[in-house]
Amino acid sequence: MAPAAPSLLAIRDGAIGRRLTVFMALGFLALIGAGIAAAWVTSENQRHTRWVAHTYQVENSILNSRRLLEQGETARRGFLLAPGDRRFLDAYYTIADDLDPQLRRLERLTSDNPVQARLFARLYQRVSALAERRSRTVDLIDAGRIDQAVAAFRADSEAGRMREIRGIFDAMSQEERRLLDLRDAELNASEQWFYIVLGIAALLLAAVAAIAWVTISTYTRDLSHSRDQLSQLNESLEEIVADRTSDLTRANDEIQRFAYIVSHDLRSPLVNVMGFTAELEAASERLGGLIDRAAGEAPGLVTEEERLAAREDLPEAIGFIRTSTQKMDRLINAILQLSRQGRRVLAPEPIDLAQLVDNLRNTLSHRLDEAEAVLEAEGTLPSIVTDRFSIDQIVSNLVDNAIKYLKPGVPGRIVVRGWQTGTRVTIEVADNGRGIAPSDHQRVFDLFRRSGPQDRPGEGIGLATVRALVFRLGGTIEVASTLGEGATFRLNLPATLDMQDRTE
Amino acid sequence: MNAHQSVSIVMIEDDEGHARLIEKNIRRAGIMNEIRHFTDGTTALDYIFNDAGGPQRNGPALVLLDLNLPDMSGTDILQKIKSSDGPVKRTPVVVLTTTDDSREIQRCYDLGANVYITKPVNYENFAQAIRQLGLFLSVIQVPDLEER
Repeated sequence: MAPAAPSLLAIRDGAIGRRLTVFMALGFLALIGAGIAAAWVTSENQRHTRWVAHTYQVENSILNSRRLLEQGETARRGFLLAPGDRRFLDAYYTIADDLDPQLRRLERLTSDNPVQARLFARLYQRVSALAERRSRTVDLIDAGRIDQAVAAFRADSEAGRMREIRGIFDAMSQEERRLLDLRDAELNASEQWFYIVLGIAALLLAAVAAIAWVTISTYTRDLSHSRDQLSQLNESLEEIVADRTSDLTRANDEIQRFAYIVSHDLRSPLVNVMGFTAELEAASERLGGLIDRAAGEAPGLVTEEERLAAREDLPEAIGFIRTSTQKMDRLINAILQLSRQGRRVLAPEPIDLAQLVDNLRNTLSHRLDEAEAVLEAEGTLPSIVTDRFSIDQIVSNLVDNAIKYLKPGVPGRIVVRGWQTGTRVTIEVADNGRGIAPSDHQRVFDLFRRSGPQDRPGEGIGLATVRALVFRLGGTIEVASTLGEGATFRLNLPATLDMQDRTE
Repeated sequence: MNAHQSVSIVMIEDDEGHARLIEKNIRRAGIMNEIRHFTDGTTALDYIFNDAGGPQRNGPALVLLDLNLPDMSGTDILQKIKSSDGPVKRTPVVVLTTTDDSREIQRCYDLGANVYITKPVNYENFAQAIRQLGLFLSVIQVPDLEER
């Protein structure tokens, strides 16, 4: 399960992010393209509308000019038929006055187009010529020379001047129509382009949306998949932890049992060694007596070597066997004691640490006096719920050690202090004794290991016991010390020992 | 016990050295009764229940029992003795062993052990304990197995 975890949990965040960014960019590009196309088409539309209006203006102008021209002609003819009627003459002049501005307007409107400009030039020329003849005709009528005027009029009609002018007007209109058609076609084309761009943008957007959706749903699926895997892993992790814990508990029990059996079975042969050593001692004592007697009664019988063997070598050998077996006995007892403590059932109860220190002071008063040392509790000690026997053993072992390793010539001061931090309680046992070299800070807690000058009795059991007890109480212990400047043992224990957490 | 010279001591102890030391110190206490030594449970039980000179068939006895035996636990022997039907069940059993586990001690008394002694490792104490046991043996009354 565990080895598969990293690959399962490696969600392709980077790749997903890059892909999504690309899709977003594409989508925005499509939108911008559509916007530009729309703007372009709108401006094209406006331009076209302007041109359509322009065309109508031109046409309007052409029609106006034509109408005025025709009206001028009609007025001339009217005046010719009824020379006495001045109204025709007035109308003619009014029309002639109006015509010129109208023609100017037409010229202005068509000036942008060379074809129209050319047509207009021709038109203007013809119209100017016509106007001149008309003026002359009208002047002749006005002067009463009707016949000459009629002749001039007829010549004009025969020359077909009006027809020609009408033709030019038609040509101009047609040209304008043609331009309008051209612009219509352009508009259509631009609209077509607009729809094409719009279509492409829509397609692009749809594609981007689809791909993004696929990507996100894949990503989500991956995520939920890895979440499932994670929760599965979590569950199996708890199982693994439970398994390991029970393994550890089993191993610990095994070690405890092993220590108990070993130390127990070691005792049996040791009883023999010590027992027969004692027998040997008694026997050698008797033999020594015999040698002494023999030496006294028959000096020649006992050599100096034999006397030394009986009187010195034997007792010496027996003495070494004795001290060694005694030491071994103490060591075995220590192991036995440790294993027994490991098997002891813990019974948490509220402990008054101040009371505990007081009791300890009473118990150790003799040794404290001897060492000229004081034991005191500093400040208010925290309350703690834990196993009474264990905490008692821990503190008394630490204080005992402190008394044991005071600095000669310096009045000893052993301080117990403590405080609570959250659910943990810290207890310090500090002394002003000889201290422990930093290199030995770990070693002092090992069984049968000691630090500094070996001038005090002991087997190196106390601190090992303390550490074993502290561990059993769910705590830790460390020492802070500089050689020659005292040592501070700091315990960190749970404020309330919860037996449910201890699976032992 | 001195009054009944026929009371024999059955010592079940797998360690020859311990057996020798125990015998020596019992003798030093002035107990001169016959001591039959067995190093395993099977032969000891066979002697107790089946042997013509054993307690079942022939006279009162006292059992010194070690709990750590190679072939069976001393408590099995204790149980067999105390749960038997014959006169053997009234035979006093002194458990003399290195085991000082409180549960084991309780179990032995529950099974009917008369005395439980832990062998001290220190030899002086050991010798003293055995000699005191000898003195104890010299004054206790052992039921006459003939009186059914």
